[in-house]
Formats: sequence, structure tokens, C-alpha cells
Amino acid sequence: MRFNAKLFWFLTAFYLLDAVAYTWWMLAEPYQGITSGGPALFGAKFEIIGTAALAMLGIMSAFLAFYLGKTARNQGPVPEDNTTAKISDGESEIGFFNPWSWWPFFLGLFGSLVFASLAVGWWLFFIGFPLAFVALIGFVFENYRGQHAH
Amino acid sequence: MATATLTPANPVVPKSKGRILVDWLTTTDHKKIGYLYLITSFVYFLIGGVMALMIRAQLTLPGLEIVASKEQYNQLFTMHGTIMLLMFATPLFAAFANILMPVQIGAPDVAFPRLNAIAYWFYFFGSFVAVAGFFTPQGAASFGWFAYVPLSTSTFSPGIGGDLWVFGLALGGFGTIMGGVNFITTILTMRAPGMTMWRMPVFTWNTLVTSILVIMIFPPLAAALFALGADRKFGSHIFDPANGGAMLWQHLFWFFGHPEVYVLALPFFGIISEIFPVFSRKPIFGYKTLIYATIAIAALSMTVWAHHMYVTGQILLPFFAFTTMLIAVPTGVKVFNWIGTMWRGSISFETPMLWTLGFLTTFIFGGLTGVILSSPTLDFNLSDGYFVVAHFHYVIFGTVVFAMFAGIFFWYPKMTGKMLNERLGKIQFWMLFVGFHGTFLIQHWLGVMGMPRRYATYLPEDGFTFMNEVSTAGSVILALSFLPFLWNVYITHRKGVLVKVNDPWGYGRSLEWATASPFPRHNFTSIPLIRSESPAFDLNHPEASGTVATKKTVKKG
Repeated sequence: MRFNAKLFWFLTAFYLLDAVAYTWWMLAEPYQGITSGGPALFGAKFEIIGTAALAMLGIMSAFLAFYLGKTARNQGPVPEDNTTAKISDGESEIGFFNPWSWWPFFLGLFGSLVFASLAVGWWLFFIGFPLAFVALIGFVFENYRGQHAH
Repeated sequence: MATATLTPANPVVPKSKGRILVDWLTTTDHKKIGYLYLITSFVYFLIGGVMALMIRAQLTLPGLEIVASKEQYNQLFTMHGTIMLLMFATPLFAAFANILMPVQIGAPDVAFPRLNAIAYWFYFFGSFVAVAGFFTPQGAASFGWFAYVPLSTSTFSPGIGGDLWVFGLALGGFGTIMGGVNFITTILTMRAPGMTMWRMPVFTWNTLVTSILVIMIFPPLAAALFALGADRKFGSHIFDPANGGAMLWQHLFWFFGHPEVYVLALPFFGIISEIFPVFSRKPIFGYKTLIYATIAIAALSMTVWAHHMYVTGQILLPFFAFTTMLIAVPTGVKVFNWIGTMWRGSISFETPMLWTLGFLTTFIFGGLTGVILSSPTLDFNLSDGYFVVAHFHYVIFGTVVFAMFAGIFFWYPKMTGKMLNERLGKIQFWMLFVGFHGTFLIQHWLGVMGMPRRYATYLPEDGFTFMNEVSTAGSVILALSFLPFLWNVYITHRKGVLVKVNDPWGYGRSLEWATASPFPRHNFTSIPLIRSESPAFDLNHPEASGTVATKKTVKKG
């Protein structure tokens, strides 16, 4: 297993352990001044937010760990993880890089109009949204040349 | 990624002013985007600094009215906090990560160059929206940078300034998330052959770990901000105190807010870890321990958020006190490693090293007061006072500003091809060091005496006057220390001599010192063999490395 997957499995274990520890601690010391919020559990006012947050961190880490592990298995050995690789071992196509693009600037500009319109008023939304929509389409399809055309 | 010949040297730069402007607006080059981040965040740093000076001027003597109204004072400290944290320090991480991380792993660019550009423009325009409240009649947001409800609801803080703040930060937050995703993908997929995870420079490691924190915490912030915006503008009741909304906001905000401090700290720890070995002429002491300490800090930092909420009396105190004290351990390990790196090294005190030592001194102060504050009994007395203000300025200023200048002086020849003036750098360092400690050291005692934070003034009978005078005097020296720096940048631009060598400091370790200064368009014309975490040092000093059979040693043997 590659270390990047291991890293996230480690985080998964850590956060799930934390969630259990937090829950246990909360139940063991229910007098912790908790006066509001949360469902009543085992007769004590149980505050669930730490359990929820920590468990969800664990789930998110597990998700990433699983994805990275699966990708690594499908991919097989790669030169960047080979301790004796030569630079020439990595001579593969790594994809297409736009040398420049106008769309990020316009999407940022018009996107900010949409966000500001939520604060300022709907009139700005009706100006900003169409522009942002065009910029978004432009950004997504900038390198699109039709299906299978590449 | 490993093609040996990408572009010859620097391509011909377009000359006319319009072409240069278009070039910067449309760039997808990670270095240029990094410079944009660096320049924008530095401008925000200066703006936030001017606000801090106005706050300090107001507090010099009791009863002053330098700031026209208390509402304006509230706006000043709110926007000072917001700007320094989210428009200066966080994008500064993106700046250094963008400029250096792809070079350090031997990649020609980041994984998603256009996403990188859009992350910058979201930050740029989002920040502008968030501070645009200053151009409205009621002024900017004034509920404190952590926007506690119900104070930040439209009932208690009406006005468009607060709305702009909420939605502007949400947009900027999306930019940060995109940046984090981009950095993680780049590090996991674009490393040069032989650059295993355990050969990555410490700065790259810290960028990876910081980016993982970013994708864990910025989505909850965006969600919380949208919910707050819905409460303010569309009449929802998500943070209604009747439903426990006050606590919900504090939990959501600090679930973001505390790891955010580590988002600010870890990349700058990385910068420091790059500089110590170069000026101590030793490899980093305990490379693996340092990495594991970084991972441990990041993991633990997600579990400490409620220590900002001790005084609410509605959290599980022992759990959060325990985790908060625990996080001091890996941080202490890092300090131990840095000192171990210098130990018996051949140290020289060029400006980057000076800033690094300034960082270490200042940060340790802040770390120690952090351990004090982690104890609930002590925190009950010190919370919301100047002790806390002094503590977090030591931590944040110590890491971000000292390490930023360390990084700027260290990598300036890589970014521009010219070295900054050493003498001006040293003058600046000592002015800033004296000014900073003059401003904030005394605030610990102000806090112990009971001066609360965020109050616009105080009474002569409180006995705070002398200490506030000292603090303001320190802040003036601190502000003046920026003049030598700006002058330094100007004269280096006008008269600086091109360095022309790959490694102007002589003992550079990671891959950026194995390519031209300034960087060529796709970073490398050729990449050396990677056999350790310091390939450039192995290349330039084969006699000392011993880890690699280079041409020279092969010939000798």
C-alpha cells in the first residue's frame, strides 16, 4: 500500500477513536455543565456535536484512503515511488496544460457579482448570473472540440 | 513530467504594458499565480496593518477619540482580524505553496492550472466583496471576525457591510478549497521519478498536510457562512438562539477556526525547516520525526476546537483541555528538531536565518502562553482579555510574518533572479523584532490586570495607561520597519545584480536550487537524479552527501 493511502487510514483510525473517546467521556461525565441542546440519552443531556464532527472526519478520511488505495492498486507501480528511478523513467504524456486562459478571470469576476448580489439585492443577481453562467460554460468547455475529437 | 527539455530558458516576455497586463490576468503558470497571491496578500497585510495602527492610536491614552465612533472602532478590529487571517495569511500559504511546491517535487506545473487561476480570482474578488463594506454608508462588518450569533444576525448588526462580509468570505473560501484540492492532487500525482513521499522536502510535506486540513475545514465554514447569510437575508432561523443556534455557530466557526490557525502555521513551519539546514550546513535533524510531528499536529488540531469555547460552560471541558495540551507535544518535537539542526552546525547569519531565529523566539513565547490558556481554570480568568490578544499575536505574527520574510529573503533570488540587500534586511529585522515585542509583550500584563479586548477605550483609574503607551510606541517602530523593506524591494528592482547561479546561498538542498534563477517557464531544463530528500545538495556537493553515486564519485572510485 502506498503511503498516501496509509496516511488517510491513519487519520481514519485516529478520528474514529476520538469519536468513541469523546462519546464515552461525555457519557461518563454527564454533569459537564451541559444545560441545553442535544437529545436526552441515558437520562443525561447528551451533546452530540463532538461525536458527529469527529466521526464524520473519520468517514471522510476513510473515503479518501479507500480511493487512493484502489487507485494505487489499479495503477500498479509508478516511477515516483521507485527509490531507484531515473528521471527518464517518467517520460509519459502527462496531459494538456492551457498556456493561458481568460475564463478563470471572468468566472471569478462574474461569480463575485453573483455572491455580492446575495448581499446587495436581486437586481444585481439578474445581471451577474447570466454572465457567470456564460463564464462557467466557457471555463468548462474551453478545450472541448466535440466528442472523441481529441 | 520528466521530459528533460521543456523550454530553453525564460521565454521572451511580452513588452508592451497592455500585453504584460493581459499576460498576468490570463496566466495559468503556477509561479505567476503564486506571485499574484504574494503581492495581493502583502497589500492586504499593509491595509490590515494600517487598521491595527489606528486601533493602537485609539488606545494610547484613556478617553481618546481618534476613531470617530465606537462603531467604527468595532469595524476596525473586525476587519483587521478578517483581513489578517483570511486575506493575508491564508493566501500567503497559497502563494508560497504555488511558487515552490511544484518545483520542489520536480513538476512542470500544478495538476490543475486553470483551477489554480480560478482559486486566485475567487480569493481576489471575494476579498474585495468582503471589504467593500467600507465603501457603503453604514461601513463594514463590525461583529468581530468570528461573527458570533446572535450579535451577527440582522437584528443586532443590520447593514449591508455584514452581508458583504458573509458572502465575500464564502467566495474566498471556495477559492481556498480549490487551492487545497489542487495542491493535494499535485503532490500525489506529479512528483518526479524517484521523488518518493519520504524524499519530499519538509515544505512540500507541510503543504500536503495543510491542504488536507483545508479540505476538512473550509467546507464547514462555507456552509456556516451560507447559513448565516440565509439568516441575515432570507429570514431563516438556523442560528436562532431559541434552537441552540448560538452554540451551533460557535462550534461550526471554531471547527473551522482552530485548524485554520494550523493552516497558517504549518506551511510556515515548512519554510523554517527549509532554511535551518541551509544556514547550519547540516541536513534537517530528524526528517521523519518532523514529518510525523506535522501529521500529528494536523490530526490533533481537528480535535481541539472547543477550547475557544471554555467560557460557554457547555462543552466537554476535560476532553478539549486534554487534546489541547497534547498538541504541544508534537510542536515541541518540531522545536527540538530545529534546535537539533542548528546544534554543532556551521551557522551563518544571513537575513533568512535571522528571520528564522526571530520566528523561533517569538513562536516559542506564543506556544508557552498557549499551554497556559489550554488550562480551563486559567482560561476562565484570561479569556477575552489582552493576554489572549498577546498570545495569538505571538503565535500568528511569529509564524506567519517572521517566516514570510524569511521565505521572501531566502527565495527572492529564485523568484526574481536578484538578491535583496542584506544590510537593509538586517535593519528591517531588528526594527521589526523590537517593534513587535515592544507592542505585544506588555499586553500579557495588560491582560493579567484585566484589560478586556475589543473595548474602544478605558479609564485613567484602570491603570492601563502606561502599558498602552508602551504598546503603541512599539507599534510605531513595527510600522516603520516596513520602510526599509519597501525601499529594499525598490532598489533591488532598480539596481540589483542578477545572481546567474542556480544556488546563490551555496548549500541549498531541495530541487528548486537545481534550476535556474529565476525559474524557467516550466521550472526545469533538466532534473538531477533524486536519491534523497536533498537532491540539489547531492548534485552540488557530491563529496559531502554520500547518499548518491554521482559522476564525480564514480570517477574517483
